[in-house]
Amino acid sequence: MIFSTLEHILTHISFSIISIVITIFLISLSVDEIVGLYDSSEKGMIATFFCITGLLVTRWIYSGHFPLSDLYESLIFLSWSFSVIHMVPYFKKHKNYLSTITAPSTIFTQGFATSGLLTEMHQSEIVVPALQSQWLMMHVSMMILGYAALLCGSLLSVALLVITLRKAIRVFSKKNNFLNESFSFVEIQYMNERSNVLLTTSFCSSRNYYRAQLIQQLDQWSYRIISLGFLFLTIGILSGAVWANEAWGSYWNWDPKETWAFITWTLFAIYLHTRTNKNWESLNCAIVASIGFLIIWICYFGVNLLGIGLHSYGSFNLH
Amino acid sequence: MESLNTFTNPLNPPSPRRIPLKPFQIHHHHPKTTQRNLPSPISCKLKSSQKDTTKSSTKLISQKILLSENMPPPLAEEEDGVEAEKPLENDKNGAMGMWLKRLPRRVLSVLSNLPLAIGEMATVAALMALGTIIDQGEAPDFYFQRYPEDNPALGFFTWRWVLTLGFDHMYSSPIFLGTLVLLGTSLMACTYTTQIPLVKVARRWNFLQSSEAIRKQEFSERLSRASVQDLGIILMGSGYEVFLKGPSLYAFKGLAGRFAPIGVHLAMLLIMAGGTLSATGSFKGSVTVPQGLNFVIGDVLGPTGFLSNPSEEFNTEVHVNRFYMDYYDSGEVSQFHTDLSLFDLGGKEVMRKTISVNDPLRYGGFTIYQTDWSFSALQVLKDSEGPFNLPMAPLQINGDKKLFGTFLPVSDTDASSVKGISMLARDLQSIVLYDQDGKFAGVRRPNSKLPIDIGGTKIVIVDAIGSTGLNLKTDPGVPIVYAGFGALMLTTCISYLSHTQVWALQDGTAVVVGGKTNRAKGEFPEEMNRLLNRVPEIVGQSASEHSEDRGG
Repeated sequence: MIFSTLEHILTHISFSIISIVITIFLISLSVDEIVGLYDSSEKGMIATFFCITGLLVTRWIYSGHFPLSDLYESLIFLSWSFSVIHMVPYFKKHKNYLSTITAPSTIFTQGFATSGLLTEMHQSEIVVPALQSQWLMMHVSMMILGYAALLCGSLLSVALLVITLRKAIRVFSKKNNFLNESFSFVEIQYMNERSNVLLTTSFCSSRNYYRAQLIQQLDQWSYRIISLGFLFLTIGILSGAVWANEAWGSYWNWDPKETWAFITWTLFAIYLHTRTNKNWESLNCAIVASIGFLIIWICYFGVNLLGIGLHSYGSFNLH
Repeated sequence: MESLNTFTNPLNPPSPRRIPLKPFQIHHHHPKTTQRNLPSPISCKLKSSQKDTTKSSTKLISQKILLSENMPPPLAEEEDGVEAEKPLENDKNGAMGMWLKRLPRRVLSVLSNLPLAIGEMATVAALMALGTIIDQGEAPDFYFQRYPEDNPALGFFTWRWVLTLGFDHMYSSPIFLGTLVLLGTSLMACTYTTQIPLVKVARRWNFLQSSEAIRKQEFSERLSRASVQDLGIILMGSGYEVFLKGPSLYAFKGLAGRFAPIGVHLAMLLIMAGGTLSATGSFKGSVTVPQGLNFVIGDVLGPTGFLSNPSEEFNTEVHVNRFYMDYYDSGEVSQFHTDLSLFDLGGKEVMRKTISVNDPLRYGGFTIYQTDWSFSALQVLKDSEGPFNLPMAPLQINGDKKLFGTFLPVSDTDASSVKGISMLARDLQSIVLYDQDGKFAGVRRPNSKLPIDIGGTKIVIVDAIGSTGLNLKTDPGVPIVYAGFGALMLTTCISYLSHTQVWALQDGTAVVVGGKTNRAKGEFPEEMNRLLNRVPEIVGQSASEHSEDRGG
């Protein structure tokens, strides 16, 4: 009884903290100078991380099995992965570009998980015989970590695409309109699709230089994090195959979820190969990674909506 | 034939030289790479050989390997190489012979084209996606109804498309397998032509002898009043391998990150080979055996392909000693267990094990998995007569949730509608009994042996006999595939490493440092700055000034 209340409390605390963090981000956009706010948003994210960790651990102890056996738990795990990814650059003392993506992602995943849509799944479920294996921990956790990293990377690529395309549109319109070309304050806005957070950055001096630098850094960051996500995804798929062989005798069954995971893997392999050609570098890769964003969601959620195949544990019905 | 160019580093005169070719080789194009402004000179010296052009195809790429790329696209050279072949066919004597000799190299060059590989990967992905949308393995009738000709999906997609292209069994259809085979050959061609020479090139290390060359690197700095030896020591402490020759220094770290992509491709080839062997050389079968009965393995297994070879162990007889299930407190099934004994031809027991889901039995190259269960028979005593074995029929199977039932007639069996007692069960734990009118009569557990009186008949449930669902398999490809999996995981991890190279030159009292890296480009300047901050400053005559200073 105490565990379930504790779990309840932690869920609500994490959700509230992350809402506050988002509000702080929004405020800091309009009022640039308050550094203290940025600091407290960082602390807020760390607090969220601890809350979600506590939530997962509580659930683990309470139910006796690793908290990854159905869709609700995997969503919580996904938001936990986002908060972990958010904190990693923080430790390396890099300027945190990812925070604008990971923080909103965390809140939305957490929000969706705790929302009314899935209330019937909040209860700890019993684990069917097929899931009672040590492989569960490795396979599913690697897959979710991989999804989280790849989602972040593809969102960064989407941001990059938006900036590049805005530049192209702006240049194009300038040719038509003969606007004044003098140096001026330029605001670059890019929409983060998941969260509608408008990050407005004011640059003075040559607009192209800063824009180009931003694009380059976004490119680098998305490359690094997609490589990391690709690694996790590979390990996840392969451990799933080995587990299937141990459980059912066949390591690949062309199950919809397996197939879509393989499609995601193939797409990001295309991304990594596209990067080797310097001429194509930023734009084409960004397009590929943006397609990857859709494919990951189909793989993670869309297949579960069908509710068939070997992965039917994760299915749910939207009423 | 292709033109052979060498790029030499600034050790020799800086301009790239072209080695004159043999007379009959037509040199009609300018490789585009010479006109590109290379941000950094190729830092290795590549030899071109004047030998017979029908030698190995490594020469095809010896021209343009850029260390700053992961997999240098052989695009420019390959296309030119292909075009250059054509004029030779005009040579009358032995034209066919020469063309045939060059065919493998030409094929190789076409196959290792990067856009082609990307296109193949995209095709495979699209076909797989299509395979999840179109229901697989159904009877043709299903497709006639789903994709009718008078109302085609997307305006053109009818059942004819599905059945002729083999989309109803997509993952074994010729199109899909053909694309996979093509991808495999591209992999092999690419590994051979591009990656392996890259290894040879990357392993060579070379010094840059002029400050200008060093300044042209991605990252470069000038430290006044420093010594290149100190820099070498700092780099060594940071995990670099340092080579010092006179005033110049070369250091690198993370060379494994260059080789790992080759490993990745080789691992994928291994997996493909193992998968092919599995598909063509394994035996599969499944069987449902009631508790107490036995079966011979060879009867159950069926081959999957033309390479399947039965082994001696197929004569083993398997006896199901006992099948039982564990339950949660809520009544749901938690695990199935089957106690199996294996007997050889002579009747001797060679193995005994209790298997459960996720815990199979392995013997003699084949594996027995617990995958399913069923209800075989219900043993009842009727009015203290019996025991009668009533077979249980599956009434409703919904994945893990099953319903079985049986019927015990109590009235005259010759009458047109027979009345009797119905017994239903969801698992082996409890049996629900209904009387002649279909009304609920009671629940009994088989081990309780409690009688129940239904309309004058006394029923005692003696035992619930389950049957175990087993999957058997022997798969020679599994060790290969597992090896491929392990290699893939390992090499993917390693290829995340970044290959960093640092050059330095002692220029009077100053040191010029330059470096580049292939993956972690974002963090590289900061990491280099941190390292350079630690290089001690050599102070001339003035006393003990501390040294953590960096000149500009």
